[in-house]
Amino acid sequence: MIKVSHLLKTVPTADGDLDILRGIDLEIPAGSSAAIVGASGSGKSTLLGLLAGMDMATAGQIWIDGEPLADLNEDQRANLRAEKVGFVFQSFQLLPSLTALENVMLPLELAGVAGAADTAARFLTEVGLENRLEHYPTTLSGGEQQRVAIARAFAREPRILFADEPTGNLDTRTGERVIELLFTLNAISRTTLVLVTHDEQLAKRCDLRFGMVAGELQPL
Amino acid sequence: MKLSLIWRLLARDWRGGELGILIFALVLAVSVIVGISSFVTRLQSALMSESARFLAADLVIVSRSDLPTAWAEEAARLGLQTSDLLGFPSMAVADIDHMALVSIKAVSDGYPLRGALQWSAEPYGPLRTEGAIPLPGEVWLAPRLFSLLAVESGDQITVGETLLSVSGSVRSEPDATTAVFGFGPRLLMNTADIPATGVVQPGSRVEYRLLISGPAIATTAFEDWITPQLQEGQRVQSVEGTQPRIGDTLDRAQGFLLLAGSLAVVLAAAAITLASRRFGVRHTQYVAILKSLGAQSHEISRLYGASLFCLGAVTTVVGCALGWLMQEAFILVLGSLLPLTPGAAGGQPFAMGVATSAVCLACFAWPPLSRLGQAPPLLVLRADVQVDDVQKPTDFLLGGAAIIALMWWYSGSATVTAAVVGGLVMVVALGFLVARLLLSGGRKMGGFAGSIWRIALAGLQRRGRANALQMVIFAITIMLMLLLSVVRSSLISQWQDQLPPGVPNHFMLNLAPAERPLLTEFFDDNGIRSEVLYPMTRGRVIAVNDSALPEWDETESSDAPRQRGANFTWSDTVPAGNALKEGDWWDPDTEEPWVSIEEDFAEGIGAKVGDQVSLRIGADIVHAKIKNIREVDWQSMRPNFFMVFPRAVLEAYPGMYMTSFLLAAEQKSLLNKLVLAFPTVTVIELDVVIEEMRSVVSQVARALELVLAVILLAGSLVLVAGVQSSLDGRLKESALLRALGARRQVVLGTLWIEFLVLGALAGALGSAGAEAAAWGLQTAVFDMTWTPTVLMWWLGPLLGALTVGTLGVWSCRRVVNTPPVILLREV
Repeated sequence: MIKVSHLLKTVPTADGDLDILRGIDLEIPAGSSAAIVGASGSGKSTLLGLLAGMDMATAGQIWIDGEPLADLNEDQRANLRAEKVGFVFQSFQLLPSLTALENVMLPLELAGVAGAADTAARFLTEVGLENRLEHYPTTLSGGEQQRVAIARAFAREPRILFADEPTGNLDTRTGERVIELLFTLNAISRTTLVLVTHDEQLAKRCDLRFGMVAGELQPL
Repeated sequence: MKLSLIWRLLARDWRGGELGILIFALVLAVSVIVGISSFVTRLQSALMSESARFLAADLVIVSRSDLPTAWAEEAARLGLQTSDLLGFPSMAVADIDHMALVSIKAVSDGYPLRGALQWSAEPYGPLRTEGAIPLPGEVWLAPRLFSLLAVESGDQITVGETLLSVSGSVRSEPDATTAVFGFGPRLLMNTADIPATGVVQPGSRVEYRLLISGPAIATTAFEDWITPQLQEGQRVQSVEGTQPRIGDTLDRAQGFLLLAGSLAVVLAAAAITLASRRFGVRHTQYVAILKSLGAQSHEISRLYGASLFCLGAVTTVVGCALGWLMQEAFILVLGSLLPLTPGAAGGQPFAMGVATSAVCLACFAWPPLSRLGQAPPLLVLRADVQVDDVQKPTDFLLGGAAIIALMWWYSGSATVTAAVVGGLVMVVALGFLVARLLLSGGRKMGGFAGSIWRIALAGLQRRGRANALQMVIFAITIMLMLLLSVVRSSLISQWQDQLPPGVPNHFMLNLAPAERPLLTEFFDDNGIRSEVLYPMTRGRVIAVNDSALPEWDETESSDAPRQRGANFTWSDTVPAGNALKEGDWWDPDTEEPWVSIEEDFAEGIGAKVGDQVSLRIGADIVHAKIKNIREVDWQSMRPNFFMVFPRAVLEAYPGMYMTSFLLAAEQKSLLNKLVLAFPTVTVIELDVVIEEMRSVVSQVARALELVLAVILLAGSLVLVAGVQSSLDGRLKESALLRALGARRQVVLGTLWIEFLVLGALAGALGSAGAEAAAWGLQTAVFDMTWTPTVLMWWLGPLLGALTVGTLGVWSCRRVVNTPPVILLREV
């Protein structure tokens, strides 16, 4: 379960401090899916970065499964990500020098999981890429790259999956297929899904929906 | 972190083309150092054995009296080889009309312990080395003794009270220059025959020698044991202090090789720095992804540290192997010319290779990678996150200190290091200044030029800092490549000047004054070219400023001023090949008692310009004032003298004449006619030595070519690494230009202009740096005269522009051959 209380994020700019997040309060129960909807620049991705422990808040607190993120140092937060968090990014973030199989193997290898190659191949098969295991990202289509990213995210069987505009770089039909896959795998593995999107239709498929406007979050 | 994971990640990086330059540069640094230092170590050991050859042993005990047998026994106990030798002047008699004063050398089994004795069955016949020494009852004569004594092989001659049979001609003795027993031509015999001659009696002028050879530890132990027991008239000659004739050439070649090695490491270090920086920049995103997947900072550091360690281990092993092959190639090129002791290189060069690898990894490769752990994971969500540069100014300080330390270590010379570092500092300082001025001025000029120029010059300015760094690296590379080429060319031309075609290869002493016209006629008739005939008088310096100098024996082991015997001559002008160091020359008609002294000789008697020296010539005492001090090139193969007087001072004293002349191989038999026509003269044959020196010079020059090729390869590598370091930014911009509709020619044109301008500027800077360093090296290290290299001043910028331009455009060729959308997706 994810809990956020009075979260504030301010960044210094040439014209003085800029408030990006202004007192966010949020609760997402374990196993549910939540969508954060908002226009570009509203602060959605900043919130996602904070929730995943990749950035530090100016004030306020975040608890992941009861653990307060502000009390953890960078390495402890990384450890928490390794154990509990999976990611799907708008720009896929695959390593170009690795094949599809190797990209999926990477988090398993980092965690020292045995049989990384078999597990990775199994997940790639689940996302329908059994014929693309040895392909490099540049030789895959956008939809295929995102499916590799989804396989990578689920391969570690995370408790929480963060998805940042997962269809943002895809055409509508491909996007729909990727979302279908995401929700199917989410249902099977009972992961808590936090989705950042500006697509209302996509948001509607989630259990909870929040709207982000100028750094403030409202339940929809 | 599992080792297998590290290897897999490295393999993936290798496949992705991320590691190529880094690996290549590391292998190059290690292999060049191992190759050059093994070669130099082997060359040094070859030099030592070459020196030993000139002693015919590793150690020689010289004595005026018979040596105790206990000494040879002690040497044997230490596992050393020994051989007895004695020498003295005596008469050899063939019959009542044919007798000659000879220099007898009696040798025993084992002689020579080092080097080879060359002989022939007939005088001037084919050379042989087998058969070692004359058997008891036999003698070998110097070639011209055959005509002096009118004997042939098989005839008998009398030495003292015994008859000995002539069985060969001694042609070349390894210790001819260190074991001299009087002026006469050589007669070589067996020590077994000495008692029968009855010549050696108590009080007779005989020099006894005990030759010793064996492992260095044992010879040193023996030297330590024997030194305290030496009596008056006994001394030890060791390899140090006997310099073979080719020593100077090899010394300079070694200096050049070590300099080349140092430069190779500087170049490799530059390549490693650039490659590692690019690796770091490209991996920042990689690390952000790893961190978003849960990798911790210390795990990232461990991952990259371990990867670098593995990379270092592999490249060190490969580099050591290649270095070993490289020095084998050097040895192959030099052939069997040098008496090289196999395996003499030992483990030291490999230790140097490992240390080089460690320093390169720690000081050049690691700093940019060490900061990768700090990469913010947020990069995966937002591309605009501020990322610290992977390289800090302190890295360059660390790298600079490491370069100076490495150069100092390899070259073993603060002067070499200072000259090169001085040039480098100049290039760096000037480089950043010029980059700043020209790149900003270029933008203004570009404003008036066409669009291609405007885009190109704007690009240069936009990446101003990166371009300045790139230009300085190019300039350093070009400087080092030019520097080495210049030093190599001037070294080789200097060696060739030293032994120009037609250099005299025979010396002739003891020509009576009345015989001068006859000799000139003989030379003219036979087409022999000779130097000027120099009058020669022998005498002894006994006092300086009326203060008597001690005799030789009293101060034998010290450097204190003492009496010196020498050959004198007179001359109206400064002798050819001599240079005045202090004072000036005299008027040809002067009658003043002046003298000109060779610099080392002046030091030996403790005299300076203006001092009065007293000399004994025959029965007379002559006083003369030192007018000047000369530097003499002893390797010039011309007659050279320690003391030269004005004609009026020396002409009154009876003296013989000497000269040097050139005799071609096919004219060799003329020597017999010459010694028959002029029976009193002594001929010293240097043709074999000169041929050997020529051969060494040409072989060493080939070795230098090889090394230069390696350095040029290293330099090209840095240029490639330099171009690649800015490739991503350029590819992206060029792809954008094409996406915006720029034609192929426009994109190519801007790339050509950018790289040509960078290359030309770097070339000009490199030429300046090379000239400065060449000046330092040639004047302070190689003892050569510096002359500005005009060619370099326009060749540097031209080659710089062409090389950097071609490499740059070639590296970016994808931008016009690949659809821009694919490029934009990749970079």
